[in-house]
Amino acid sequence: MILGRRRGPRGAAERVSGLLVMLPWLMERKRVKLADMAKQFKLSEAELIDDLMMAAVCGVPPYSPDALIDVFIDEGEVIAEVPLLFSRPLQMTTAEVFALTSMGIAAQQLPGATAKGNLATALVKLRRLLPSAQDVVSVDIAQVPLVGDFLHAVETGEQILITYFSPVRADRSERTITPRQVFEDGGHWYVAADDQLSGERRVFRIDRVEKLQNLGTFVTPATGEQGGEIGDDAEWFNDSMQQVTLLVAPRARWVVESYPYISRTKNSDGSAQITMAVSSEHWLGRLLLRAGKDVRVVEPVEMRDLGARTAAAVLKRYV
Amino acid sequence: MASKTSQAERMINLLALLVQRSQPLTLRQIRNELGAQYPSGNVAARAAFERDKKELREMGIPIEMVTLGGDSAGEGAYKVDRRSFELSDLGLTDAELKALQLAAATVRIGANHGEAALWKLGGERALNKPLTSVNIELDDEMMPVLAAGIVERRILHFVYNGENRSVHPYGLLSRGGFWYIIGFDDLRNDRRVFRVDRIEGVITKDEPKSFKRPADFDLSKAVPTEQELLRDGDGVSKTAIVLVDASLAPRVRAEFGQVSVAKERADGSIEFEIPCANMAAFRVWLFAMVERAEVLSPPEIRSQVRAWLQDMAARNDQS
Repeated sequence: MILGRRRGPRGAAERVSGLLVMLPWLMERKRVKLADMAKQFKLSEAELIDDLMMAAVCGVPPYSPDALIDVFIDEGEVIAEVPLLFSRPLQMTTAEVFALTSMGIAAQQLPGATAKGNLATALVKLRRLLPSAQDVVSVDIAQVPLVGDFLHAVETGEQILITYFSPVRADRSERTITPRQVFEDGGHWYVAADDQLSGERRVFRIDRVEKLQNLGTFVTPATGEQGGEIGDDAEWFNDSMQQVTLLVAPRARWVVESYPYISRTKNSDGSAQITMAVSSEHWLGRLLLRAGKDVRVVEPVEMRDLGARTAAAVLKRYV
Repeated sequence: MASKTSQAERMINLLALLVQRSQPLTLRQIRNELGAQYPSGNVAARAAFERDKKELREMGIPIEMVTLGGDSAGEGAYKVDRRSFELSDLGLTDAELKALQLAAATVRIGANHGEAALWKLGGERALNKPLTSVNIELDDEMMPVLAAGIVERRILHFVYNGENRSVHPYGLLSRGGFWYIIGFDDLRNDRRVFRVDRIEGVITKDEPKSFKRPADFDLSKAVPTEQELLRDGDGVSKTAIVLVDASLAPRVRAEFGQVSVAKERADGSIEFEIPCANMAAFRVWLFAMVERAEVLSPPEIRSQVRAWLQDMAARNDQS
């Protein structure tokens, strides 16, 4: 299935495979607004009209009007009321069953999903399309406290007071926020919210919210299409941030994989030299301490002893 | 029919014809039925037909060829059984389809496959950005071959860490922002876990049913969690008592649960009992808290942590 790809003129296979999906979908609905259908299938209206007009002259011999696919456009509506051909959808590909099953399994772990709800029973039916009774795909979504509270606040528009811990600055702050969107990415949950303190849209990692208090004041809830400036912990490439170059041994590959870097050079011994932006000395000291001798600061020179200084500070607890 | 027919139009007419007829048709009969849609020359017509047939098969439409007997002995004829490519009714209720739509609107796995599955089920993709989203993105190009590998039990071949691997994929797992293949690795002659984003180049696949999946394989337990990693090792002690300052104690309690709390102190700090059999993993976990956590016991673990810190504090990276 190759609908929706936008790489130059569409080939015959792309147009045909698209029609074989669109026609049964359309015949089930009978009438759909042209603009809505084009948007649904990621086509321009002109492309959709081209495809439907082509379908309208296809059929079976003798290609008389009653032997053609009965689809036409009238006053901005696409109409297909008499199914002759292609009224049933194609079988799903293995990748399509896999993708939808994975989405369902992930959604089953979100607040509000139940073991016997509609999604659960839909997944049971979908799994019949897989040849094996065994589970072949598993999705673990991080279970973090407060996600449900933020979701509720997004839906209701309720303002909340949070106590937020920032490891970047190694401090915490109280903020009044209006949650606008909750999302999971890279194994972490985030809330994008209007932040009263900064007056801007900010993104907070939910597992760093230590306390949450409902304020009982409400604003207009979000309605979708909400964006979110990535803020706080995610401002890795801000120009004002310090850039450091680290030499990372193969055993500390997790450093390269866990944090965004600006550039990376692989060395013949398996080590890597990476340049990254760091938001505070405390944050870098923490990274060096965790990695031990497997990570070394190359530049700037004045930070080469940061790991030693951080270790000496922690060592005071052990004397 | 017009003599100048596009390939897309001809492919639809070819499919419609083969679906409609109960008897297999030879290319000669097909050309007679489709009129001038195929080129007039035999060689050019055969080439065009072969191209159409190949592309339709790639869409999942099994065009069968049978060899005729009698007067047409030896001649190839073609047929399509619509039941072999049409989706059977899964019996989804409207509520179940809506639940799948909601799941697909919330969970992002890739640009195309999940949406195509929804369309085939008669559903619709969400057109607005959702207020909740989960990202478990898997490369759109890679998904079909991975799904085919695990669902159809095809051995997969790829380069990983610079080595050619042949893997019997038992399952796919998404966790912490990464996808993993769990399977039997012919090179190591043992079960291994491969992170999908570390696979180099193209994955190729063998024929279906090229291996057997062990009946006792449990996908959910195949990749250790961070807590399991801490437990999985040969360290001298299985657990350590770690004092965590009040500022971070709530987060550790949320991570390890109330069962890990050994003692709550009046200043809000908490003593936790934390697994430490894997000392490398324990170090990464402990030092993430820098000076806000301290190992209290057992003495051998406290000594080890002190030794790490002394070693690092004495390091001279100035050269």
